[in-house]
Amino acid sequence: MSHDDHHAVMIPAPGPEFVDHEVPHHFNTPVQEFQAGKLGFWLFLATEILLFGGLFAAYFYFHEVYPETFVLGGKQLDWKMGALNTSVLLLSSWTMVMGVRSAQTSQKRKTLIYLGATVLGAVIFMCIKYMEYSAKNEHGLIEFAHLFDGYNEATGQLPWFTDHDGVMADVPHGHMFFAIYLTMTAIHGIHVIIGAALIVWVMFGTAKGRFHAGYFLPVDLVGLYWHLVDLIWIFLFPLLYLVP
Amino acid sequence: MSDAHDTHAHGHGELDMGHHHVGSTAMFVSVLMALLFLTFITVAVAQFDFGAANMLIAMGIAAMKASLVIAFFMHVKWDTAINKIVFLSSFLFLSLLFIFTLADLFTRRLDNEMHITKSPVDKQWVHPSTLQGGH
Repeated sequence: MSHDDHHAVMIPAPGPEFVDHEVPHHFNTPVQEFQAGKLGFWLFLATEILLFGGLFAAYFYFHEVYPETFVLGGKQLDWKMGALNTSVLLLSSWTMVMGVRSAQTSQKRKTLIYLGATVLGAVIFMCIKYMEYSAKNEHGLIEFAHLFDGYNEATGQLPWFTDHDGVMADVPHGHMFFAIYLTMTAIHGIHVIIGAALIVWVMFGTAKGRFHAGYFLPVDLVGLYWHLVDLIWIFLFPLLYLVP
Repeated sequence: MSDAHDTHAHGHGELDMGHHHVGSTAMFVSVLMALLFLTFITVAVAQFDFGAANMLIAMGIAAMKASLVIAFFMHVKWDTAINKIVFLSSFLFLSLLFIFTLADLFTRRLDNEMHITKSPVDKQWVHPSTLQGGH
């Protein structure tokens, strides 16, 4: 194929503060680029649902086996912190959807403000999460310094679960609740951090004027990722903090 | 010539826009309010004990919240059929995972001693604070 055969499809910028979008040569049309990007991202999100699904299956399994342990474990968490974090994430999901809307309508300044607010939500969420983890660490329910020490065959102890206040003394296998709590919230927390980083990345693109009514796919996809983070937390909050 | 170019460019832009749904601010605010209200309901119902229904009620409310996020915030309501099928099918496979896992658990407990010990690990449980030695 000669070089002349390639004619780039350009999506024109809606104003001087924006830049044209060149449709990559492996797509025939802007619609094809958009639909391919969306389909690929929905497939990825489906795998994310299944990743967390395995953890939820583990939760339901052990909740059924040790119901008392889970109810008492849930009481060791501060539901007010959990409810606050739920509200923070819901608000940030709203600022995210408003950010996508602003990009769709070529409102650069508004897009940056909404995306910035979403990142702020992520930071507040992680600060609250840090405070909660610190409290668990102090009470010996999750000792982070000994997290990877492994099961001690000689003493029969899990080094990260000492429960020195004995709050879980009356129920069997108290560590099960905290192992599941930590695994689920930590993997969720990693998603919060990745999501915030991705939002910062599209903020740079927005500042450069790359996203507008004609092309906003990256903002849209990062938005979907952020809503998935919210989606997972909607189930984590009642299951972990208000153990049914 | 320049006019012809402009017309072409404009026409192109409209073609792209025709495939995207731009939700109204009022709608997104309503969805947020509904989500915050349902969060309040989540906490409120947790103060009461409905026995075995506790889990169903909590998950029912969470499912309602999730549906709002998926339909409106994730724009699935206006997305293409293929994208709806791809994403929503993940919940179908998720239900298979749950059904087989829980079917295993429930049937297992009917016919062996785990029904009594309520533990999949046949070990004597000892609280860590009563153990000697440490880390």
